[in-house]
Amino acid sequence: MPMLRGFLILVLFFLLGEALRVLFLLPVSGGVLGMILMTLSLMLRGRVNDDLATASQALISVLVLLIMPGVVGVFFLASQFSGQWLAVAAALLLGTFLSVLTTLLVMKGVLRLSAQRRSND
Amino acid sequence: MTEFVSRFIAIPDLLAASPILAIGLTLTAFFVGNWLFARIGKPLWMPPVLLSAVILSAVIAVLSIDYVRYQEGALWITVLLGPATVALGIPLYQQIHHIRALWLPIVVTLPLAATMAAVYAVVIAWTLGATPEVLASLAPKSVTAPIAIGITEQLGGSVALMMGGLLITGVVATLFVDLLAKWLPVEDERILGFALGLNGHAIGTARAFEISHTAGAFSSLGMGLTGVFTALILPLVFRL
Repeated sequence: MPMLRGFLILVLFFLLGEALRVLFLLPVSGGVLGMILMTLSLMLRGRVNDDLATASQALISVLVLLIMPGVVGVFFLASQFSGQWLAVAAALLLGTFLSVLTTLLVMKGVLRLSAQRRSND
Repeated sequence: MTEFVSRFIAIPDLLAASPILAIGLTLTAFFVGNWLFARIGKPLWMPPVLLSAVILSAVIAVLSIDYVRYQEGALWITVLLGPATVALGIPLYQQIHHIRALWLPIVVTLPLAATMAAVYAVVIAWTLGATPEVLASLAPKSVTAPIAIGITEQLGGSVALMMGGLLITGVVATLFVDLLAKWLPVEDERILGFALGLNGHAIGTARAFEISHTAGAFSSLGMGLTGVFTALILPLVFRL
């Protein structure tokens, strides 16, 4: 029962997110809106209800199961994208290399700057 | 006797009329994939989701079950992604105190790096002549799967292609973080963790928890914030 009660809270937040999406013609999915509303309401309450923690842990632990049917599609729909594999591979490999480099350099730089400012004060 | 054989051959097709076959096959592949993953020593380059998906695809192909029909049945599983995305708000809330400790580097790095993760991929693919559908499938490549599925659907991309890109991105981001950490060098575990989660979503986060608990916490935070930020920004950018 605690798990189902927690699951109901998650479903209600999801439905609320979907309703807001449709109502305000938002381009963001109902799940993401529900997640943001969930985080904000937890920040306001300052603690996580036990039922909610149980249900969310259960769902997060089987995330792999939930995304598997989507992954399977790659093998069956691959032929649709023939001729674009070079573009896809370059974007994934080179793009990821550049974005990892950007993240490390920017964060390292900002941390060093804020440390310097602190020592100057 | 031949009639019996033909009835036997028709079994998968008849059972596929109900969603329960798709559910049974998906669950079986999930457990077999996880078991196999543990048996081959949990390699970073072969995440369990890929292992399970390969097994599942092979079974669907061998039983010659119609792929579209499988997806209809599997909707009973994938529909749970909605509430599961909402559930990600709970660990995000539990990591939020890290923002207070290190808010300036996070506030500067996150928007820039999360935007560039999408921009690099889209610009490179566009230069090499990818179609708008492919571009929309590559843009959320650094976002955790449940959120990325929502983004791709909003942008009009292919969820299947996006999932493939997501897996490859997670694996190579993990390798590149390890490589660049030595080259640059970067030793701060908070930076390495944040970079793993921001670029390599759940796969990067799994690696971050191997480095240390702090790296894992920052990776979860990076993954969560990237997911939210990208989900809010990408659809607005693509509209223009």
